[in-house]
Amino acid sequence: MKKPILLCIALCIHVGAFVSGCTDSSPSGPTPGLGGILVKKYVAVGNSLTAGYQSNGLYESAQMYSFPNLISQQLVKAGAPLDTFQQPLYSNPGNADPGPGSNAGKSQRYAILNFSDPINPVIGPEGKAPGSPTNSLLARPYDNLGIPGIPIASFLVDTLVTPVAGFGPLVLRSPIFPNSVYKQILLMKVMGQTPDLVTFWLGANDVLGFAVTGGTSPTSPTNATQFAGMYKQALDSLRNALPSAKTIIIVATIPDVRAIPFFNTVGPKIAASLPAGAYLRYQKHGNTGPSFDSTRLTESGAPLVTLKAGSYAALLKDTSITSRGQWYRDLATSLGVSVAAVIGAGIDTTKYFGLDPRNPLPDALMLDASEQTTAINFINEFNATIQSVAASDKADVFDAYSFFNGVKANGYSIAGEKYTADYISGGLFSLDGVHPSSRGYAIVANEFIKIMNSKYGMSVPYVDLSRIPGIPMPLGKYAAGSKIVPTISLEAWKSFDALWNSGF
Amino acid sequence: MKMIFLVCVSTVSVFAGGFQLNEHGARAMAQGGAFAARAYDASAIFFNPAGLGFQTGRSFYLGTTVIMLKSSFFGPLQNNTNEENKMVDQTFTPINLYGTYQVDDRIHVGIGINNPYGLGTEWDENWPGKFITTKIDLMSFFISPTLAYKISDELSVGAGFNYVTGNVTIKRMVSDPFDPHAKVTLDLSAKGYGFSAGAIYKITKQISVGASYRNSVKLDAKGTANFDPARTVYPIGEASASLELPATAFVGVAYTPIENLEVEADYQYIGWSSYDKLVVEFKKDGSKTESPKNYRNTYILRFGGEYTMGDFQFRAGYLLDRTPVKAKYVEPLLPDANRSGANLGVGYKFDEMFSADVAYMFLKFDQRKVTGTVENFDGTYNQSANLIGFNLTIRY
Repeated sequence: MKKPILLCIALCIHVGAFVSGCTDSSPSGPTPGLGGILVKKYVAVGNSLTAGYQSNGLYESAQMYSFPNLISQQLVKAGAPLDTFQQPLYSNPGNADPGPGSNAGKSQRYAILNFSDPINPVIGPEGKAPGSPTNSLLARPYDNLGIPGIPIASFLVDTLVTPVAGFGPLVLRSPIFPNSVYKQILLMKVMGQTPDLVTFWLGANDVLGFAVTGGTSPTSPTNATQFAGMYKQALDSLRNALPSAKTIIIVATIPDVRAIPFFNTVGPKIAASLPAGAYLRYQKHGNTGPSFDSTRLTESGAPLVTLKAGSYAALLKDTSITSRGQWYRDLATSLGVSVAAVIGAGIDTTKYFGLDPRNPLPDALMLDASEQTTAINFINEFNATIQSVAASDKADVFDAYSFFNGVKANGYSIAGEKYTADYISGGLFSLDGVHPSSRGYAIVANEFIKIMNSKYGMSVPYVDLSRIPGIPMPLGKYAAGSKIVPTISLEAWKSFDALWNSGF
Repeated sequence: MKMIFLVCVSTVSVFAGGFQLNEHGARAMAQGGAFAARAYDASAIFFNPAGLGFQTGRSFYLGTTVIMLKSSFFGPLQNNTNEENKMVDQTFTPINLYGTYQVDDRIHVGIGINNPYGLGTEWDENWPGKFITTKIDLMSFFISPTLAYKISDELSVGAGFNYVTGNVTIKRMVSDPFDPHAKVTLDLSAKGYGFSAGAIYKITKQISVGASYRNSVKLDAKGTANFDPARTVYPIGEASASLELPATAFVGVAYTPIENLEVEADYQYIGWSSYDKLVVEFKKDGSKTESPKNYRNTYILRFGGEYTMGDFQFRAGYLLDRTPVKAKYVEPLLPDANRSGANLGVGYKFDEMFSADVAYMFLKFDQRKVTGTVENFDGTYNQSANLIGFNLTIRY
């Protein structure tokens, strides 16, 4: 028996050494940290994109996923001794529709009201009793100073001189700090908090109002020279108040309007259903009458049809004479005027909508070639300003323009999911087709964090996209990737249009 | 007595782990699976059908392998995190049941039932990879009637038919607009056919060589896709997928250096390149999902030996298993890596009728750090498995 026992012992040793040599389970990622930089105060300056606006509304369950709030949570994970990041929270379902109109005083947040048809869901305001601000008595300025609707001009406005409009009172709460160090000026509110990190993302509203109304209201973006002057004044003032040795400032460029689903959803569906040989007639910039301008929506420079046209896409094939004037009836209702007052000279609403020159697709429902050129030229000029001013003020730049164009072209893939810039099914944009969804804001947060990590040697973990909820519904993986065209009433777009004119 | 054992084994939860399983008999397992040149028990039906030709009498060989798999994932690096995500520990018990019957001096027949392919992983329903996978159970049964023909005292050949059934359950979370717990479950099953063949040649009293081959089996799986919640936008209902189980071949050389000691070295080839992609088609809307796999052909080196001492047989072995999964295709569904296994085992002969074998294997997976993965889910996988095999032999 001696030999087998020896053999057994030898083998046991052999296996034992083997087992003990393979309990290595070292991690692969970096240890979270701030690279020796003390970040104890973070302040975010911006518009609706900074506020966490989603689906045409400002409400708590969206604000929770504003990119500044997500960044602050990730900074804490990396060891930053931040106070609770304070935002001007609006309890669900969010802000009230300012009216006028049938939804005035009720919540204006969009929801999917009827999803029985997965391709043409009915979307619109929930029309519930609105929410209310939950921490308006906070004894210090908010950390998130994103004010939906404001253009660059608002940054330096003294709100004691100029009455604040729209969301200004909610965020600035000037009456609460009448004579404090925080002052009435947005800039002062930032300075008064002596932040170590500032994200500064303004400028989009200087062109978006023009774009989303099809170049009708306003009829032009902010003057580029004026924009350059205001942007420089804004960022110079900020940098002078917050020396570069102490404060990291990250600015962001203005996204390309052509990258958002608001302009890319309805057009391709109409183009796909257009009979061979048929052409759409549409009104060019400023035209209110009949039009022989024609398109199949597929040629280069073709008009970009807005999401607002989703409700009217079906009208193109409508053989009922009575329904072909629907757009003008809706417009009259939303403006509270007579139908006759909104119909341009020479328009005949008994003719085929969008196909007959006498009843063309209205200017307000599309961005034609010249309007696209205008929008893009202005965005390029604004972005050139942002880049050069950032360089001279030692601010870092998140190039949101290139980033969202990249998402439009290639999607955004992570952890087995591919998100795209498609409406609803893409997962990154909220129901209004302009503002990101919670997941969209999460990838924005990650792009800002990427800059902190690469430029300042921080190891801030990124937001885990798989744990961010929201409206996204990537159908792509299990259903045909058909684009969704919603029905959203013109009345429901009124509060949306109001946002772009709520600056001060 | 026979009946009692059959009942015992079949009540064990029948399951398999690791996409391909090669532990189908405790005697072979204890020797690192180096068995093709002297497959002299009923598990020859799996390792080399020719082995039956050198056996005498009738036998049952009944067993199971308990596979305990641990796995963890550090990452994903896409999130710049260090978090460890632990897979739910898995235990599988693939079975191996064989019966053999010697017809005459030259002809020996047998039938085997075992689970040569299977895998199972399960992750928390809120882990970062939840849109890739939360659970997969894959199981296959091979029913293999086999015949061996002893041409001479030195040479035997054998061949078998494989009737294959398989089923798979795949679960993952779905991002849904309203429900954070939305998920999809895919249940598919398939049938297929294949064959095995082999030969063993005893060159001298001390040296023998063996080779066997099992062809690839194409499985056209059909089943259902269930979504929870069951929204109309989802392709609920009939689903199908096609999967080809790889061909595999063993070549082995056995040597008897001293009396009562046998050693063997084997090379096992696996034609994994048959698994190039997994396409699932949904009947409802004609949509399909395509996951590239692009497995490569690979091999396993097996070394083992057996020392006989009276009624005892002491066994040991070692194996080196090269992964078929290229780095960019590594995913938590089957986080594979190169493996090495150390084996020990013992057999005991109670009497002329009964003998029993036990085997233990510690399977070490190389730590695998992957970047640039097609699923955009980079990080480090750590895995290990403990396997215990039991078999009972009944000769009569």
